[in-house]
Amino acid sequence: MTSMTTVEIGAIERELRQLWSESAEKAPDGQAVIRALTLNLIACTHDAAHADRMTDAIQQLTASHPSRAILALLQPDAPEPRLDGFVQANCLLSRRGTPQVCGEQITLDARGSAVQQVASLILALLVPDLPVVLWLSHPDPFADPLLTRLRSVVDRVIVNSQAFAHPTKELVHMAELERAVSSGGLALHTFAISDLTWASLTAWRELTAQFFDTRPLLPHLRRIDHVTITYQAPGGANNPVAGLLFAGWLASSLAWVPLEDAVSIEAAQIRFHLRRPAVGVGPDAIRLVTIDLCPVEAAIGVTPGMLALHLEALDGVTASFRVDRTETPGYALTTATIAGMEPISRLARCEEPGLADLLAAELRLRHRDQTFSDALRVAGLLAARLRWDM
Amino acid sequence: MSDLPNPLRHGLRIGRTPEPCTVVIFGASGDLTSRKLVPALYNLAHERRLPGGFSVVGFARRPWDDAQFRQVLLDGVNANSRSGAVEAELWASFADGIHYQPGSFDDPSAYALLAARLTELDLRRGTGGNRVFYLATPPEAYPEIIRQLGAHGLHQSPHGGWTRIIIEKPFGRDLASAQALNQQVLAVFAEPQVYRIDHYLGKETVQNIMVFRFANGIFEPLWDRRSVDHVQITVAENLGVEDRGGYYDHSGALRDMIQNHLMQLLALVAMEPPVSYDADAVRDEKVKVLRAIRRIRPEEVATYTVRGQYDAGSLSGRPLPGYRDERGVDPASQTETYVGLKLFVENWRWAGVPFYLRSGKALPRRVSEIAIQFKTVPTMLFAETPMHDIEPNVLAIKIQPDEGITLKFGSKVPGQPQIRPVTMDFRYGTSFGVASPEAYERLLLDCMLGDSTLFTRRDEVEASWSLITPIHQGWLASPAQPFPNYEAGSWGPTSADEFMARDGRTWRRL
Ligand SMILES: NC(=O)c1ccc[n+]([C@@H]2O[C@H](COP(=O)([O-])OP(=O)(O)OC[C@H]3O[C@@H](n4cnc5c(N)ncnc54)[C@H](OP(=O)(O)O)[C@@H]3O)[C@@H](O)[C@H]2O)c1
Repeated sequence: MTSMTTVEIGAIERELRQLWSESAEKAPDGQAVIRALTLNLIACTHDAAHADRMTDAIQQLTASHPSRAILALLQPDAPEPRLDGFVQANCLLSRRGTPQVCGEQITLDARGSAVQQVASLILALLVPDLPVVLWLSHPDPFADPLLTRLRSVVDRVIVNSQAFAHPTKELVHMAELERAVSSGGLALHTFAISDLTWASLTAWRELTAQFFDTRPLLPHLRRIDHVTITYQAPGGANNPVAGLLFAGWLASSLAWVPLEDAVSIEAAQIRFHLRRPAVGVGPDAIRLVTIDLCPVEAAIGVTPGMLALHLEALDGVTASFRVDRTETPGYALTTATIAGMEPISRLARCEEPGLADLLAAELRLRHRDQTFSDALRVAGLLAARLRWDM
Repeated sequence: MSDLPNPLRHGLRIGRTPEPCTVVIFGASGDLTSRKLVPALYNLAHERRLPGGFSVVGFARRPWDDAQFRQVLLDGVNANSRSGAVEAELWASFADGIHYQPGSFDDPSAYALLAARLTELDLRRGTGGNRVFYLATPPEAYPEIIRQLGAHGLHQSPHGGWTRIIIEKPFGRDLASAQALNQQVLAVFAEPQVYRIDHYLGKETVQNIMVFRFANGIFEPLWDRRSVDHVQITVAENLGVEDRGGYYDHSGALRDMIQNHLMQLLALVAMEPPVSYDADAVRDEKVKVLRAIRRIRPEEVATYTVRGQYDAGSLSGRPLPGYRDERGVDPASQTETYVGLKLFVENWRWAGVPFYLRSGKALPRRVSEIAIQFKTVPTMLFAETPMHDIEPNVLAIKIQPDEGITLKFGSKVPGQPQIRPVTMDFRYGTSFGVASPEAYERLLLDCMLGDSTLFTRRDEVEASWSLITPIHQGWLASPAQPFPNYEAGSWGPTSADEFMARDGRTWRRL
């Protein structure tokens, strides 16, 4: 790892070349060091401590997504303008006799007015013909000037909605932006949006969907009329983003439509009313669904995430589908109870994914995640009903 | 089975889970069950791929109860699961669905008890009549079990569920016995219910052969007689017969390995692009390849085949007794533990291109690969220079142990007038950094989902036996071989090298 006083593209490229030829010399005869690059990953933060966590995650990703990573630590409020660059190879420990796989990371540390130079450096450092992913980890990502400067080359923007400064307001904004970029309305070149909070719901979505892979249980899905979503969030009741996204997913998948002004807030619980397509009755019949969001303040050191989900059909044959996080961390108990039948339950693994896992899940996507777009659209509608911090 | 219109499935990042079902394992106290099958099922549960209500019923003679059976399986999973030691809570939930039915395969009352068990599970665990019968038994038992299942009406499910049957290898020992077994199976089950397993097809790299060939535009134009000099398919094992001597001595490498695994690999490299990636389209193309292979007549075996049997030697630093000294083996055995074959696929694409197959036990390394050797370039260009020594390009698809693809090509040595072969190496392990599922996981899941693409169809098995059987007959009719003829831990008999040398070629050094 070398520090450079002035950041110059030529110097960075020389450093990179040297890194690779050093590794090649060390490799046994006839064995190549594999330089496998699958994408350009630009990770941007304003917080030095967070930059370390991002580097960790990038290193963990070397195996599945070896990339040219450019980590930009931007501190615009620093008094002295200053720009430093470092180069490092992220190599995996390899088994004996197997070649080493390495990715490469360039760190740009910019302070004060030098922050404005960063976009041009990044543009010069991208590996051609590979996707460009921009990971923005600060609380106000869509207002970042870097996004504006890079938008013509970026294929995917990764954010974390749960960490937004104004979660519901930003969620509404993200939903609008997503709609605009996905309709191609903004420019010729559009990017996809990924949200790590959405990614963290995957296991829960899967456990929920699995109930209804079973033919006899499927008909009950259309009859659900009450949903309770309990989750932990940083900021507790003020941060319903994860719950909104989950509710948005259920609603968009099942064609539930939020009613105007039908939101009630009681203590920490938020209740939404939606209309769902009727089953087995005349076309004009209206059926209502309520969704309760029950946020729980996440204790310090506890990973936020879903705690429990309860889907019920009360009208007619009662059917209930529960997923509950267990006392032992890392598992969830799923239980389906249909009136007149034995309840069917099982324990399933349901670990809280780490940052690298969430990123990897998003990087695996080649295109827009339509399910996310749909869920986000409804989550945005629900968030707008809340009229919080608007 | 059609796709369920589960609206929550849309865009989920993980594939469908099967419907709740009961897997009935015949031969449940045996080695395969605790070493492969139940570890695979546990791993599927671990990956959240099994639904609530999923159940297992084991069937064998030992007078165990549920608790004893669960303990045996737990030990097996702890020793053999790729996800490491069992997670206690997860196991407890999984084991709740495991039951044991003692009985002999020929005892009708045991099947009546089994049927009652299954009905009870359908009600209590919501398995809805869905069943997989897995025959993990000595092959002699297959016909009896199938007949009994039919006699007890277990070949069909009550209340609209599905019933499938998985049959382990070996499927027959020659063409006639394979045909007979097919008849016995199909007298009770319909072909779409039958899943003949060849665990090689469950390996990721094997599935990747098709992806590699048909999802990349640059290889297919080279994939024929104009560009390819020959193909070598190797499946080498670095073990002796271990405690399977009694079985193996009546089988041999030709029937134990070539008839199924190597023929499947050959079919996948040589086949035409299927019209779609569905079970019958893929298998239709594989059958066409098998049918296009020129038969080796019994009197031609000396020309197109070579055999060996290992003598005492040492494997991975440990002494190994000779094959004839293994338990269960006839001291004068003529059974081959090594086979080399030269086959020709007589169709438009492959006419004249030899496919060399070899498989053996007690070889130095465990390795399976398919190597496509391309024709050498006309060397006039570099003939008068120190660069005349050009090696042909080789594309090797490695199946185990390090799954991946390598391409060998010539490159100029910097600063010197010399060409040196270099290899470009792609490995799944290091490129994707995620462990591939075990073959049995994939195959069990596919069967539960009703996808038979990776299983062998009736006509495929018979087409393969119709090639293998005349070779075997030819061997029986030829003079006794000077067995043993290779040392354990070597790359096979010298006759195998001579076999290649006659064609001016050599086996790849692996
Ligand atoms: N093991 C492997 O790695 C492997 C690999 C590929 C294919 N296979 C195939 O898988 C099959 C099973 O192999 P395996 O190694 O597991 O065999 P195994 O260890 O010999 O087990 C045979 C099983 O069959 C049961 N059995 C035998 N006769 C019976 C009868 N009359 N009634 C009831 N149960 C009976 C035995 O139970 P009891 O002793 O309790 O009666 C035992 O559970 C074979 O077809 C083999 O070729 C095995």
